Amino acid sequence: MRKFSILVAAVLVLAGCSAEPEVAATDLWVKSSESSLAGGMTAVYGTLTNNTSADIVLTGGKTDAAGVTEVHEMAMINGQMKMQEIDGGLTIPAGQSIELEPGGNHLMLMQLTADLLAGDEISVTFSFTGAADLLVDGIVAKPAEGGDEEYHSTEMDMDN
Amino acid sequence: MVTRRGFLGTGAAAAASGLVGVAAGAGATNASASQNLETFVAKRELSFHGEHQMGIEADLQAVTNFIALDIKPGTNKASMLRFMSLITDDIQRLTRGEPVLADPAPELAIGAARFSAYVGFGPSLFSKLGLQAMQPEGFHELPAFKVDKLQEQFSGGDVLIHVAADDPIVLAHGTRGLVRDSMPFASVRYVQSGFAHTPGMVPAGITHRNLMGQVDGTANPKFGTKDFDSVVWIDEGPTWIQGGTLLTFRRIAMQLDTWDQLGTPSKEEVIGRKLSNGAPLTGDNESDTPDLAARHPNGLTVIPDFAHIRRAAPAKDGERIFRRPFSYDAGISSSGSVDVGLLWTAYQRNMDEQFIPIQKRLDELDLLNSWTVPIGSAEFAVAGGVESGEVIAEALFS
Repeated sequence: MRKFSILVAAVLVLAGCSAEPEVAATDLWVKSSESSLAGGMTAVYGTLTNNTSADIVLTGGKTDAAGVTEVHEMAMINGQMKMQEIDGGLTIPAGQSIELEPGGNHLMLMQLTADLLAGDEISVTFSFTGAADLLVDGIVAKPAEGGDEEYHSTEMDMDN
Repeated sequence: MVTRRGFLGTGAAAAASGLVGVAAGAGATNASASQNLETFVAKRELSFHGEHQMGIEADLQAVTNFIALDIKPGTNKASMLRFMSLITDDIQRLTRGEPVLADPAPELAIGAARFSAYVGFGPSLFSKLGLQAMQPEGFHELPAFKVDKLQEQFSGGDVLIHVAADDPIVLAHGTRGLVRDSMPFASVRYVQSGFAHTPGMVPAGITHRNLMGQVDGTANPKFGTKDFDSVVWIDEGPTWIQGGTLLTFRRIAMQLDTWDQLGTPSKEEVIGRKLSNGAPLTGDNESDTPDLAARHPNGLTVIPDFAHIRRAAPAKDGERIFRRPFSYDAGISSSGSVDVGLLWTAYQRNMDEQFIPIQKRLDELDLLNSWTVPIGSAEFAVAGGVESGEVIAEALFS
């Protein structure tokens, strides 16, 4: 936790003394649940803000915590809410914020490399079109209820 | 529907809200002053960071929950540290009136309302985790007292999160967030809910009146004094407890049906203080020092031998505690008897030298025992405070 805060502070200091970051990430968290064990899956949530005057597209990410990282949306398919990868990524309009939240858009982590327990912290690099990669450290795993349908993989969705 | 505000107009409404004396003629100013008066509770924040955890050296808030948890099998030091890192972050956000991270209902974070929370650990936690060597001096399960009629459902606990706020919605929502983040590590043993006065009901610093009618907490050390530090805050022993304190938590049931049969003079003799203003029977003001030697012309002591304040008075230097009692109201029976009492707390450096000798004297003789029955009891060692970036009790679980 101490390490986490120092890292966040460093990010803030950089943000303060240079120009605003192109994309700012705030209140990021990752869900800890029975599904977030090694080999399983989870998702990253929080707010991404586009500080530039042009649209930026979130295309995916990288993390040591997972084998596969994809930008997902919840969509109504044949009358049921299903999760699917967003074709072409998620647009963050110029000067605006998007919310990644349970039941909505999220950064899906699959093939977790280790058990992700409540209170653990991971690092994630967000990839964009129109902005440089953004590394965020100290994303804390929070116990959260509901939204298990989000964890159905594309294959399982096709089976349904 | 015509609201009172709409009907009276802005200036009149401000006056009706109690803002008499605000300069007339500036309708907009009055309206905003009225708004400020209505929401002043929401805006008041208590400070989270510092040498001590919050919510102890502070005026009573309106409502409170004592949340006792028992750790799950398999919970170890490493998971306790993860547990505490989540709770530390949650408390920090709640004290600012913000939603916790991953709050499923962030719209309920409507204001700080002097939200406070601190964390303590029961003797059972130290034995479960093999941390007896880190247990503070003078901290252990209390001995049995004759007056006790303890119930398991109100007693014990491995971990205590004591939360309080000036608003019941803020309290309920904060409690839910803290409990949600505790569930990977522990289960709820009990939640005991209580209350004190609503903000604005009595001036700050005025002693709370309990449901027996007594002014309760008079001889407490004053906030911000060396006296308070010397009674409450620990400054030696293992690092994690430095800046912390020891809490004795008792659920004390009041027998109001029989208490109310006493007349005012009898009620006052039981305590040794006047009901009207809490002054000792030998004085005029609450702050007057009781004269335990004073006698009536007939030779009887003015403050009787059985009086609570005589029995509770320190037998030697340092034999004092800081009390911060909330009331509870657990309902009314079909025959009209109220189930009320105190969520009574004593904060101290060393239970062997402070609470226990006092309670032993009260256990031997205190007429008040006839109407007050301890039905719950627990002890918690409250970790020291944290600075930004630190985790509560980090040094205990690292």
